Amino acid sequence: MRELAELLQTGQVSSTELVIACLEQIKQTDGVINAFLTVDEQGALEQAAQSDARRARGEALSPWDGIPVAIKDNISTRGLRTTCASRILRNYHPVYDATVVERLKQAGLPILGKTNLDEFAMGSSTEYSAFGVTKNPHDPARVAGGSSGGSAAAVAAGQVPWALGTDTGGSIRQPSSFCGVVGLKPTYGRVSRYGVVALAPSLDQVGPLAKTVEEAAALFSLIAGEDPRDATSAGAPAFQVPRWNAAVVQGLRVGVPEEFFSSGLNAEVEAAVRRSLRTLEEQGAVLKPISLATNDYAIDTYLTLVTAEASSCLARFDGVRYGERVAAPDANTMFAKTRGAGFGAEVKRRIMLGTYVLSASHYEAYYEQAQRVRTLIKLEIARAFEQVDVIITPTTPSTAFRIGEKRNPLEMYLSDLYTATANLSGICALSLPCGYDSQGLPIGLQIMGDHYQEELVFQVGRVVEASVERGPKVEV
Amino acid sequence: MIGREEVIRMATLARLELSEEEIELYTRDLNSFLVSGKKLQQVDVSGITGTSHAVSVIHALRRDEVGESLPREAVLAEGPEVLDGYFKVPRIVEGQE
Amino acid sequence: MKYDVVIGLEIHVALLTESKFLCSCSTAFGAPPNTQCCPVCLGLPGSLPVVNEKAVEYAVKAGLALNCQVHTFSRFDRKNYFYPDLPKAYQITQDTYPLCTDGFLEYYIDDELRCTAITRLHLEEEAGKLIHSGSSIVDSEYSLVDYNRAGIPLIEIVTAPDITSPRQARLFLEQLRLVMRYIGVSDVKMEEGSLRCDANISLKPQGSPVLGTKVEIKNLNSFRALERALEYEVKRQSAVLERGGKIKQESRTWDERAGRTLSMRSKGDAPDYRYFPEPDLPPLQLDPAWVNCLKDTLPELPLARLRRLEESYGLSRYEATFLVNYPDFGDLFLELAKAGEDNTALVNLLMGDYARLAREQGHLAPGRIAELLRIVAEGLITHNQSKAVLEELFRSPLSPREIVRDKGWEVLRDAEQLRAMVQEALAANPDIVSRYRAGEERLWGYLVGQVMRAAAGKADPKVVNELLKEELARG
Ligand SMILES: [Mg+2]
Ligand SMILES: [Zn+2]
Repeated sequence: MRELAELLQTGQVSSTELVIACLEQIKQTDGVINAFLTVDEQGALEQAAQSDARRARGEALSPWDGIPVAIKDNISTRGLRTTCASRILRNYHPVYDATVVERLKQAGLPILGKTNLDEFAMGSSTEYSAFGVTKNPHDPARVAGGSSGGSAAAVAAGQVPWALGTDTGGSIRQPSSFCGVVGLKPTYGRVSRYGVVALAPSLDQVGPLAKTVEEAAALFSLIAGEDPRDATSAGAPAFQVPRWNAAVVQGLRVGVPEEFFSSGLNAEVEAAVRRSLRTLEEQGAVLKPISLATNDYAIDTYLTLVTAEASSCLARFDGVRYGERVAAPDANTMFAKTRGAGFGAEVKRRIMLGTYVLSASHYEAYYEQAQRVRTLIKLEIARAFEQVDVIITPTTPSTAFRIGEKRNPLEMYLSDLYTATANLSGICALSLPCGYDSQGLPIGLQIMGDHYQEELVFQVGRVVEASVERGPKVEV
Repeated sequence: MIGREEVIRMATLARLELSEEEIELYTRDLNSFLVSGKKLQQVDVSGITGTSHAVSVIHALRRDEVGESLPREAVLAEGPEVLDGYFKVPRIVEGQE
Repeated sequence: MKYDVVIGLEIHVALLTESKFLCSCSTAFGAPPNTQCCPVCLGLPGSLPVVNEKAVEYAVKAGLALNCQVHTFSRFDRKNYFYPDLPKAYQITQDTYPLCTDGFLEYYIDDELRCTAITRLHLEEEAGKLIHSGSSIVDSEYSLVDYNRAGIPLIEIVTAPDITSPRQARLFLEQLRLVMRYIGVSDVKMEEGSLRCDANISLKPQGSPVLGTKVEIKNLNSFRALERALEYEVKRQSAVLERGGKIKQESRTWDERAGRTLSMRSKGDAPDYRYFPEPDLPPLQLDPAWVNCLKDTLPELPLARLRRLEESYGLSRYEATFLVNYPDFGDLFLELAKAGEDNTALVNLLMGDYARLAREQGHLAPGRIAELLRIVAEGLITHNQSKAVLEELFRSPLSPREIVRDKGWEVLRDAEQLRAMVQEALAANPDIVSRYRAGEERLWGYLVGQVMRAAAGKADPKVVNELLKEELARG
């Protein structure tokens, strides 16, 4: 993005030209990829024209003024359809902007459109979208990952330079890994969730997806920091793109949790991650084997908490104030018919599970138990960060799987095996490409950092990135 | 084992109209989920308090100041059915909670 | 059989903040429908709540005034249920860790001091308002929803089931309202819904330690409704028990017009609210020093004031109760009493014609009331005349002395002038005079009256009495 920013700055390219190039690329590729649910051609061009006018007056709002961005479709955009990839919201136009969208607009970024996701961000493949699967640009027979599959695929396919996603159990990192892009799940609370349609509020975070670590850091700098409209962001520090310094890895204590390299991990993925670890070691990092034994419970804990919170958060879609309604003679029947017809199978499954674990007779055995195990996970992570500065793992156990390959929901949930821990403990985690497997599919490496350690995670990520050979990529 | 009855009770609580096939499907899914729950129940959590918030935040209150509300057209704009400035809902029948 | 009545109350008090509990929309009453709404109080997807600090302050004050333990750690929970007036399909409330617990409120039933335990007091949000197309929810084709009210801060106060009569329930609630008004956290208007009360009532054989099945009564829109509905339930339930029947655990609604309670829904299938900690709001952590500070800012509470008025000012229970129940009168009394006015004359004035006039037209400046009392005490006007001066004070900007001077209402004390009037009166009533002299002493009053009438009420009664005595003695 530094190049794009420089080109804009020096007038070699205009925002309008950038937006047109993106729209052209979308036209050419999105018939196959299906990354976008809504492309706001007119709006983006208008915003680009305004940006160009600002540049001409020397009044750029930020170094990135004029660089278009795509927004995951569970983030509210004023007047721009926001569907959450659900039938129930297929014609919903928010009356307000999410804080992150407001901030991007304040930095002058034209909003290109809204990207596909698993319905209400429930899924790991974007197959659960009510509006079609998003295909992996590296192999259209494979999934882009999810739930931020549309954002990851759009960036990977060169349809947009960068995008926002959301991550509740891995929904930014896993598709980033599958699509070969960089994605950050920030520290819980560091980015405002105001306007982001909730899946599980105690886990959800908004984060950037981009081609490079530096670009991801730049986009993150535009959205990070306290928001008075989100109480869980109170006290969260802002973020500035740091001066890059490869020397940070000298003496850096890198935790390598054995549990993340055990059975079930694809051999090629393991080899690529270990190669990157060796490179770091060669540059002066100290690899420390650590144990994160509680990761064994991460998925079960995650599943219990996510379904519980989601069942409550999605209750508001009752056909009274917004969204689709199925007519019925009385209110309760109207609620049930509206929700029965409006939600897809996975959403209903999770609502059912969540209702079950919260119901009076099961609350203690399931929900409360999961909250307590969550504490154990948090404590173990806290102890780990007393010994190490970052923790490095594969982002996912395998590379992108085939569309339709995972039929069993529990199998699908295992996609988040390495990523859910960061959400449960609230820490930050970055995924970046660290190579390709024999089929040419990208492999993702995850760098976890303690609360508010995004800068360190980016610094280390940039060193890893520099050491990884680049595969073929599509440029705008 | 979660039975059909329980599944129907959950669907009623959650206001989800389910087809026969769906009831069967979710009865199966809920039961396979129980395995996951049972696994967690093996974990010794004695003396551990649950985490309800990932990061502890203290003072997060707002001042008592009136801000702008939305114009009524915006409030009602997305309403599936509105009448005279109100949202309209069909007959409310009590006793189904 | 005789039965013990067991009553517990659940009270909702709307807090008098400027903005709503979790968003910045106005709380003003009576705006056109759906004009005080925003993404938060409409429950739009993605919106988030942020707690109003004033609501917390008011709830803590209420807790302190009800002698509660105020917890420096409390937490918000979601109460999940579907209803068209509930925008998010859950209510943000406090379940497991309420803000306050273990309080009590003392109040008088006649001369007997009673104490009712407060189990808990917590913060929560109000729902929207439903307007039914028919005359009631049951016979309505459709309903209309107004979310202006949605999100106004409430405190829910739950008493222990230790109230033993409908009248006691009413007196408790009246005292509670008074306390809330004293501390200024709510305008507690039952007719506007800023004070609402549900009652749980059960009967058990006299002396039995086993509680009976309880029935919940809703829709109690006035103090009278509370008392009447409970009285009705006592009768209904005892009749059922007398017949050997069983009380159904249920919710009943009070039908004001029919004067009876009606079954709403069976509680056999108790609602499952699936409470869990509200992830969008961090727990509430209060600084103990701040709580103590609030304690110091609490005004004198009704019961303390009642005792002070009785003990330090020598007022009767009746007088003191009046001043406590109308705090504006109480404040006025205390201000004037402090300035040295005579307590008895003062309270008599305030409770008399002044009360009627002030309620219609608002209070007079304390200085003018003090002057009125002083000119009566000085004898510038008679007690009788003070009434006329008082009425004039509500009409005119003049001071009492100016009014008296303007109207020529000064007391007539001139002995010569009055003697002439006395003589005239005696001359005009020879009959009465002779009957009086014959021993009919009660006719004295009539003669005084005749003189007073001649003097247009302005005569100093003491002088008139003396002169009358003299003239009659003279024969
Ligand atoms: Mg309540
Ligand atoms: Zn509002």
